[in-house]
Amino acid sequence: MKLRLMLDFFWLAIFWAAGLLLLVVLFGILGYLFYQGHTSLTQDFFFSSPRGLPLGAEGGIFPAIQGTLFLVVIAVFTAVLPGLATAIYLAEYAGKSKVNTVINLTIQCMAGIPSIVTGLFGYALFVVKMGFGISLLAGGLSLAIMIFPVIVVTARDALQAVNRDYRWVGISLGVSRRYLLSRVILPQAAPSILGGLLLAMGYAAGATAPIMVTAAVIATPSAGNLFEPVMALPYHLYILFSQQISLEKAYGTALVLVLLLLTLNVIALWFKNLKSKGA
Amino acid sequence: MSDYAVLNKKSFHLSTGTFCLVIACCATLLLLSLLVYMTLVSWPVWFSPGPWGFLTGTDWNPLAAPPQLGIGTMILSTLWTALGAVILATPIGLCCAIFLAEYAPSWLAQLLRPVLNVLTGIPSVVYGFLGAAVLVKYFEITFNMASGESLFCASLVLTVMVLPYIVSASESALRAIPLKYRQTSLALGVSKPYFTLRVLIPLARNGLLGALILAFGRASGETMAVLMLAGNTMVLPSSWFSKGEPLSALIALELGTSEVGSLHYQSLFAAGLVLLLFVLSINLFFTWFRRDRRNEVGKP
Repeated sequence: MKLRLMLDFFWLAIFWAAGLLLLVVLFGILGYLFYQGHTSLTQDFFFSSPRGLPLGAEGGIFPAIQGTLFLVVIAVFTAVLPGLATAIYLAEYAGKSKVNTVINLTIQCMAGIPSIVTGLFGYALFVVKMGFGISLLAGGLSLAIMIFPVIVVTARDALQAVNRDYRWVGISLGVSRRYLLSRVILPQAAPSILGGLLLAMGYAAGATAPIMVTAAVIATPSAGNLFEPVMALPYHLYILFSQQISLEKAYGTALVLVLLLLTLNVIALWFKNLKSKGA
Repeated sequence: MSDYAVLNKKSFHLSTGTFCLVIACCATLLLLSLLVYMTLVSWPVWFSPGPWGFLTGTDWNPLAAPPQLGIGTMILSTLWTALGAVILATPIGLCCAIFLAEYAPSWLAQLLRPVLNVLTGIPSVVYGFLGAAVLVKYFEITFNMASGESLFCASLVLTVMVLPYIVSASESALRAIPLKYRQTSLALGVSKPYFTLRVLIPLARNGLLGALILAFGRASGETMAVLMLAGNTMVLPSSWFSKGEPLSALIALELGTSEVGSLHYQSLFAAGLVLLLFVLSINLFFTWFRRDRRNEVGKP
C-alpha cells in the first residue's frame, strides 16, 4: 500500500516536471538569445547595411529585414487566394465526398513535404526552367508552395468552427449559399483566418532551406527588384555563423528573427481571443 | 431584352463551389506535378547506377571520371538522426502530453499551449544556430572531442524541435479517450497515475504511436538544424556519435554547385525524391493509423 502511494507520487512528479520542462526550454532559449543578442540591437544594426571585412562583420541587417519582408509578402499574396478557395471548398462545399478525402490527403501530404524538397522543386521550376534566376520572385513563389497547406488547414478549421446554427438559419430563410458565405460565415471566421495567415507569414519568414537555393545571397545592396537576389534574415544568420563572420551579429540577427516571429504569434493569439469574445 | 440580359448573366455565372473546386484540384495537381517533375529530372539516375546501387551505394563522388553515385551513407545518417531524435523525445513528449491532458490546472494548460506554438514557430535555422553555438561548444569542452558536431548533436536539437509536434498530437489522442473511463476509474477509487498508466495509455496507444510516426517524418525532412550540426562528412556513420551528412543537408549543400542537367544535378533530384517519398509514405501511414484509432475508440 505504501509502495503504491510512493509510486503514484513518483509518477505525479514526473508528469509535472515534464510539463514545466516545456516552459524551461522555451524561456531558456528566449532568455539565452536575449542575453547574448541584446547588445547588438542598436539603431545602426537595424537601419544600416552589412559592412566590414568579411562583409557582415560590422554594420547592420537592414537589407535582410527588407528582403525577408518582401519574400513573405510575395509568398502570402500568391498563396492566400488559392489557399482560401481550397479551404472554402473543403469546409463548405465538399461534404463527405471522395473528392474531399483526396484533397484533404493531398494538403496533408503537401504540409509534410520537407522544406529542402520545396526548394529543390522551386529551383528546378522557377530558377532554371522559367528562367527567373536566383531571385526574389523565385524565392517568394517557393515559399508560397510551402505555406499553401498551412493557410488551407487553418482557414478550413476556422470555417468549420463557425456555429452551425447560422447555416441552418440561413438555409431556412432561403438565403443563397454565396450570400451566406460572404456575409455571415466568412466575417465570423475572419479573425481566425487572419491569425492563421500571420502564422503562415511567420513560417515563411523563418524558412531557410527553400530560399537558400532559390533567392538568398550573402549581400546585395538593394532589395525590391523581383528578378534580383535578396538578402534574408534566416539565411544571413546561417552565413554569419557558418562562415564564422561574427558570432555577436549572428546572435543579434537570431534575436531579431525570433522577436519578429514572437510578435506575429502574439498578434495571431490576440486575433483568436477577439473571436472567442465575439461569439 | 431584359430576359436576354438575365440569360446572359446566367451563362457567365460560375458558382462559388465550382470555382473553389477548380482551385482545390489545381492544388492537388501541384503536388502531383512536383512528384512527376522530380521523377522526370532524376530519371537517368535510376538507370545509370540503378535504383539499388543508388540507394545502397556508399561512395558519393559525382565529379569523378565514372561518377560514383550512392546515397547509402546519407540515408543512414538521416535515419540515425531522425530515429535518435524520436527516441529522445518520446518519454519527455508523452509525459508532457499526459500532463497537459490530465494533470495541468486549466490556467497552466492555457499558458503552455501558446508555449508549444512558439516552440514550433522558432525557425529551424535558429535552433541549428543555438545548437551549434552552445551544444557543440559544450561537447567539445566537456568530452574533449576534436569537434562536437555529430549525429547525436543533431538528434539532440531535433528532439527539441519535434517535441511540440509529439506533445500536441499525443494530447489530442489522449483527449479523444471518452470521459466514461475517467468517471468509472474515479468511482472505483483508482488513483490517477494508475489510471493514466494502466488505462489511458493502453487505450490511446495507437494515437500516441501515430504522434511518434509523425514526429519521425518531421525529423527526417528537417534541413537547417542537421546541416549545421551533423558535421557533413561523407564517411559511413558507424555510431550515433560519428559525423554524417543527412540527405537534406546533402541537397542543400551541393545544389548550388551542381551544373544544371548534369548527372550530379539529376542525382540530387533523385536524392530529393527518395526523401520526399519517404516522408510522404510516413505521412500516409500516419493518416491510416489515425483512422484505425478512431475506429477502435468508436467501438464500445
